[in-house]
Formats: sequence, C-alpha cells, structure tokens
Amino acid sequence: MTDVAVSVNHLTFSFGHREVLKDLSLQIPTGIAFGLLGPNGAGKTTLIRLLVGLLKPKSGDIHILGQLISRKKALFIGYMPQLQSLYNELTVRQNVEFFARIYRLHDKAKRTQQVEKVLKLVDLWERRNDAVQSLSGGMKQRTSMACAIVHNPPLLFLDEPTVGLDPELRVSFWEFFSTLTKQGATLIISSHTMDDAAHCDRLGFIRDGKVIAEGTPNELKLATGTAQTSLEDAFLYFVRQGKDARND
Amino acid sequence: MTDAVWIIAKRVINQIGRDHRTVAMILIVPLVVMTLIGLSFPDLRVLDYIAPALLAALALFFGFLLTGISFLRERSQGTMERLTVSPVTRLDIVVGYLCGFFVFALIQTFIILFYTIYVFDINYRGQLWEILVFQMVVIIGAVNLGIFISSFARNEFQMVQFIPLVILPQMFMGGLLWPVEQMPDYLQWFAHILPLTYAVDGMREIMLNGMNLLDVWVDLAVQAGFAMLTSVLAAITLRKGAVG
Repeated sequence: MTDVAVSVNHLTFSFGHREVLKDLSLQIPTGIAFGLLGPNGAGKTTLIRLLVGLLKPKSGDIHILGQLISRKKALFIGYMPQLQSLYNELTVRQNVEFFARIYRLHDKAKRTQQVEKVLKLVDLWERRNDAVQSLSGGMKQRTSMACAIVHNPPLLFLDEPTVGLDPELRVSFWEFFSTLTKQGATLIISSHTMDDAAHCDRLGFIRDGKVIAEGTPNELKLATGTAQTSLEDAFLYFVRQGKDARND
Repeated sequence: MTDAVWIIAKRVINQIGRDHRTVAMILIVPLVVMTLIGLSFPDLRVLDYIAPALLAALALFFGFLLTGISFLRERSQGTMERLTVSPVTRLDIVVGYLCGFFVFALIQTFIILFYTIYVFDINYRGQLWEILVFQMVVIIGAVNLGIFISSFARNEFQMVQFIPLVILPQMFMGGLLWPVEQMPDYLQWFAHILPLTYAVDGMREIMLNGMNLLDVWVDLAVQAGFAMLTSVLAAITLRKGAVG
C-alpha cells in the first residue's frame, strides 16, 4: 500500500470557457480524514468529481492509490455524492444491498452480514425495511453513507456529507469518520463549514479553483502567527495573503 | 451477459414494481387508449388493416415514453452518477436498464395486442408467436431509443418535447395513417430511414398476409440493427453526471 492515497499534479479543468480548477496540486496521505474546505463555488465538488473519474481533466494528472486514475480502481473507491442519490421506492436495505452487489460482494451470506454490519454502524438497522422516501433527511444521508461504505473501500470521497444534518447527527457522523480512519481508510471530505474543518486531520483550503493553503488545522492556525485564531480567520488570512501576492 | 446487468435489471423491476401508482398506470393506460381507438372505428373490419401498424406504433410510443422518463429521473436524482463511479461498465448499465424496462414495455405490448385480438376480435393470419417475437424486437429498439434520447434532456418537460420530434414524425410517415407509396418521393426517402416504417411493414406482412419471420427478415433485421445502434449510442452518450 502506498503512503499517498491521492496525488494530484497541475490539474486544470474548465466548464466551457470558465476555468474551474487552475493548476491545482495536492498530495493526500493514506489513513487520514482530509478536508477540502472552501466557499461555495470554490471548485470542491468539481475536484471530487474529477478524483472519482466522473469528469476528465483538461490537463494534469491524478494518481489514486499509487496508479493513474482508471476504472480498475473503482472497487477501491467509495463515493457519497452531494445529492442523496438513492432509489426512493426501495427500502433502506434494498438500496444498500444493491450497491453491495454492484461492488461485487457476490457471496450471499457474506453480503447479508456486511449489509447488516453497515446498517447497524449508521444506526438504521431498525428502519431497514422502510422505503427511503419515508425517511427523514438525516436518515437518507445515513443511507447514502451506508451505500458508499458497504464494500469497505480504502478510499472514500464524501461530498458535503454533513450538509443539512442536525448538530447531534453531525457529531455522530464525525465519530463514525474517525472510526473509519482508525481502521486505515482515507477520507476526503468536502465542506464549506469551519465546524467540519476542526474534525479533519489535514485540510486543503480551496478558493477560486486553487489550493491556497494546506496542512493540519494547527499548522494552518500557526501560520497566521497565533494558534489562538479560529480556522475561519486562518482561511481569511490565506485569502488576504493571496490577494496581496497578486497585488505585488 | 454479466452479473451487473441482472443486478441492475432486477433493481429496476423491483423499483417500478414497488411504485403501485406507476404500475397501475402501466396497466390501465394501454387499455384506455385501445378502448378509445377501438370505439372510434364504427366498422371494426377497418381496424383489421390499422391494427398491425397501430400495435407497432404504440409499442414504440409506450416503450420510448416509459424508458425516457424513468431513465431521466435516474440522472436527475443522482443515482446514475453513483452507478457510473462503480465498477460496472456503461454497456452493463444500458443493457441492465434495457432488460428492466423491457419487462414493463412488454407487459404494455401484451395488453394492447391481446386486447386488440380478443376484445375487438380483429382478423389476423400470421402466427401469434411470430407477432410477439417481432414486437419484442420493436420494443428493444424503443426502450434503447428512450435511454439514448434522455441523454439530451435535462428535465421531464424537455423529455416530453422529444415525443413530437422523434415519435410523431414516425407515426405520420411510417405508414400508420396512409401508405408510404402514396407520399411524395422525397418523403418516401425520409420514411425509409425511419425504423417504424419497417416495423409497420413487418407487422402488416405477418398479420395481414400471413407471412413468417423469415419472410420479413429485412424488416426484422432493420429493427434488430436499430436496437443495436441505439444501445451503443446510449452507452456512448451515457453522461457521467446527475445534471449537466
């Protein structure tokens, strides 16, 4: 297993004439929760969609688990999109079971065991036979999470997984993410809230399609001159630095 | 056929099957449409001539509509995005959906066919099983066409707009309302590139003239070729995004 889960070099991507990602480079070590932090429209979702192979870069390269991105790596990747992306008419269990089968958990006994384990992890076992359309927003988020992790992927891409969750559920999600990283998984989580940032092992601040700073939450705070500052202030500090550099 | 195809097909069938309102519509709408059409013919013997073309045209219409809207919903809900990130290939996805939707399109076709034959008591000469096989090939093309065309729509409204663009011209020029031979030359040329023209011709040859599948092999081959072409096009244009 390589020490770098994701390596992005000089990545550029455009929607038509609008350049969304500009010469972006990033190295994400294995076994950590890496937060992609930035305001709406910064390019976080586009970056995640490039990393999972949904979009093709205009230039630059992406290495996933030591190899150039390809369909062969699909089995090792879990993806939770921003939309809940579930089959509303099907039950919670049927949704998770479907993705378990798609991700080649062919042995029925093992699959049943794994689905049960994952549904208990996200605390939905009691609601397993309920149609997704009858669930609350938070439960749908958890179902979506279960679908993303059912095949035990070593690398998980979670696009704004805590959006719309109440504080209690948000805490339980982060506890769950911590459990996954302790088990060796790498999590790449996009968010625009600094509350989420504090839970990550490392952060990449993204603005206007560029990584403006990267490091542990403490390193980023210290770079501003004081560890007492908030991550929000640290983000604004790097934004200002970027503007000053352009003005010089 | 890979495992993924059956897994996807089974899920599509299961999903539509759990949506009781949709199932009811799938069963009732063809009955209502055929009743209205049948009652509008004071002389049911005229229906003998119209029925084969009507069966082919309705198979195309219902297959296209059912699949196009359902597949579009998969895109807009983001479930297609999730599926395209998984290890399944684009062709697995298209064939999987084809198999799933095919079941419901086939049920609608059976309802229309048996209702026309047994309730309106139309006269036909060919073998029933050959009519069914021919119709199945028409349905495969219709379902694939629905999947393919849904790539170009962003919402249900746009998808419905494709009906007058893709389906109606085939109904007008495919020999359903008047014989292709009576149309101006340039329209005849156009009619001969429309798959429904061959579907109508094949159905008429089997049902009115008592021909078998071998006799209508050109019509059948065109339907099969159209089904293959649309499945490849659908796989190519299967956009990897929820919307846009």
